[in-house]
Amino acid sequence: MGVLVSIALRNLVQSPGRTSLLALAIGLVTTFLVLLMSLSLGINENLVNSATTMSAGHVNVAGFWKPTTGTAFPIVTGVGEVRKVVEASTPGLDYIVERHRGWGKIVSETGAIQSGLSGLVAADEGRFFDRLLLAPEAEYKEGGSEQIFGDARRLSEDDTIVLFSGQAKRLGVSVGDVVTIKTETMSGASNTADVTVVAIARDLGLLSSFSVFVPKSVVLDLYQLNEDTTGALWVYLDDIEESEATMTVVRGALLDAGFQLRDHESNPFFFKFEAVQGEDWTGQKLDVTWWQDEVSFLTWVLTAFDTLSWFLTLILVVIIAVGIMNAMWNAVRERTREVGTMRAIGMSQRRVLILFLLESLFLGLGATVIGAALGAAIALGVDAARIPVPSDAVRTILLSNELHLAVHPQSLLVAILSLTLFTSLSALWPAIRASRLQPVKALTHTE
Amino acid sequence: MSGIVRLMDVVKDYPLGKVTVHALRKVNLTIDKGEFTVIAGPSGSGKTTLLNLIGCIDVATAGEVLVDGKSTGKLTDKQLTSLRLNSIGFIFQSFNLINVLDIRQNVEFPLLLQGGLSKAERQARVDDVVDKVGLRQFASQRPNELSGGQRQRVAIARALVTRPAIVLADEPTANLDSTTGTQIIDLMKEINHQDHTTFIFSTHDEKVMKRADRVVRILDGMLEAAGLSESRGPSESGGEQVHA
Repeated sequence: MGVLVSIALRNLVQSPGRTSLLALAIGLVTTFLVLLMSLSLGINENLVNSATTMSAGHVNVAGFWKPTTGTAFPIVTGVGEVRKVVEASTPGLDYIVERHRGWGKIVSETGAIQSGLSGLVAADEGRFFDRLLLAPEAEYKEGGSEQIFGDARRLSEDDTIVLFSGQAKRLGVSVGDVVTIKTETMSGASNTADVTVVAIARDLGLLSSFSVFVPKSVVLDLYQLNEDTTGALWVYLDDIEESEATMTVVRGALLDAGFQLRDHESNPFFFKFEAVQGEDWTGQKLDVTWWQDEVSFLTWVLTAFDTLSWFLTLILVVIIAVGIMNAMWNAVRERTREVGTMRAIGMSQRRVLILFLLESLFLGLGATVIGAALGAAIALGVDAARIPVPSDAVRTILLSNELHLAVHPQSLLVAILSLTLFTSLSALWPAIRASRLQPVKALTHTE
Repeated sequence: MSGIVRLMDVVKDYPLGKVTVHALRKVNLTIDKGEFTVIAGPSGSGKTTLLNLIGCIDVATAGEVLVDGKSTGKLTDKQLTSLRLNSIGFIFQSFNLINVLDIRQNVEFPLLLQGGLSKAERQARVDDVVDKVGLRQFASQRPNELSGGQRQRVAIARALVTRPAIVLADEPTANLDSTTGTQIIDLMKEINHQDHTTFIFSTHDEKVMKRADRVVRILDGMLEAAGLSESRGPSESGGEQVHA
């Protein structure tokens, strides 16, 4: 085998022009694939980070309360009892926070927006304040400075609100301004609350378009709810990978404790309203989900991006494969007499096949490793540069206002192995043809 | 004597468009172990075809070819490959060395294909044959750094390294000047004397023929007649007869 490796490597060196050209092409495709995968991973990380901070816990215990068969509210009643069961039954529990849910109109002196209300207890929050990055004034105020104003932790104070920069821009407000929240209580009456903007956070793509943060008390007051209610319990685990399995455990524990549960449905709670309103029951039913259910409407972004990435890469790889096949045909043609000689002196068909496959394997492996290293270096460089995303539409897709690329060793390995395999397979047919050359014909071959 | 090579009523036809070329017509030939035999004839007479059949790199259209006791027509490609590797050494007119390997590696190549020897044993074998052909000081050079005569010596070393029963050489001096050609034939003959390796080579050079023990003449695919060269070799077979 050693001599075959030696011949294969030396043959590659022997044709520097052809080898360099093919290696460059394979390397660039690998770089391209690694960059796309890094962007996809970056979006995925944004999604996980944002989703598990802004939209859901790792596991969510929410519910619907129906006073009549025709009405439904996203409320969990008797939350103290529910929380006890969840705390007792959740393996690997880190902490639990409450999110009170509502929907209302936020009005300023110059504008108005519709938004979901997230009521929280600042003192109970874990990662929330670490993940919520505040925006410099210039992001929401024309002619504003790069200075960051406000403090999101002031949500511990009554009648406060944290907006995202896009919302603040539309409302024309800054930190310290007062806005009014208008909602409708469960009895149908209008209710309002004046709240002070205590911080303005950087946008997080689509997730930040329909959400504002207020203290729990604001939501309870607006909807005239008592203290033993909440919108959802967000359960955080030591290991996010255990989310789905833990959801099943929690569901079982709640059923055992006598709570009524909706069947599992992989959708965020606001997608379920219409169905719940049409269901023929009254009272309380809990709805237990995991974080991916709550952002399932966003996973299309990743699916579409990944599909597009692989499709583009596939097109490039097919072009490269044609190039490799062509190069290998040339190599076989140029070295037909050499193959004939090796066959004549006792080299088996299998070894000839291996020899040519080794050549394309080494070419592919060398080029993909260099290409992947280059791709990783570019991706890390771009990520470190924290390049701002100028377009709202792109921000929505990337779920971030900065270009975030993530490099994982596994993705590099996938890029290297898949492209090396593909380039090696491209040489299979020429290699088979070379191995099946009759020695006598190969020896008398003329160019 | 049974002969290390036997051809019985061997026919080789090549289709060439709608025409069939009769390269060999009912050839009968026996070559005994240790003979130093020349297949002589003009271009297109069938010399190379005959060597190809003996060398198991081509198969007869009809008749039987026995090499080292094995009927080649009945062997699979794998068995033919093994027979070539273990029983036959090849020397080509254009040397046919592997250009990306140095001299030592070229000579060692068949041993690596054979397997079974330790690195030290292989090195000893290679050193032995490289010394024999007088190329020790060139062992680390590439073929394209050597003269034609030196390259042919490498080819001889490569053919001998596996200690084959038969060495086949297709016009080994055709690409060499006459002095170098004579040296190459003398070298082959010396090895034949020392090791009793059977040498069968083709040529149309009368001077080369004179140095052979036995000359088998071929014309239009048929063996012509028996003949003796001027020098009688060490062959104990007395194989100057063409067994036609």
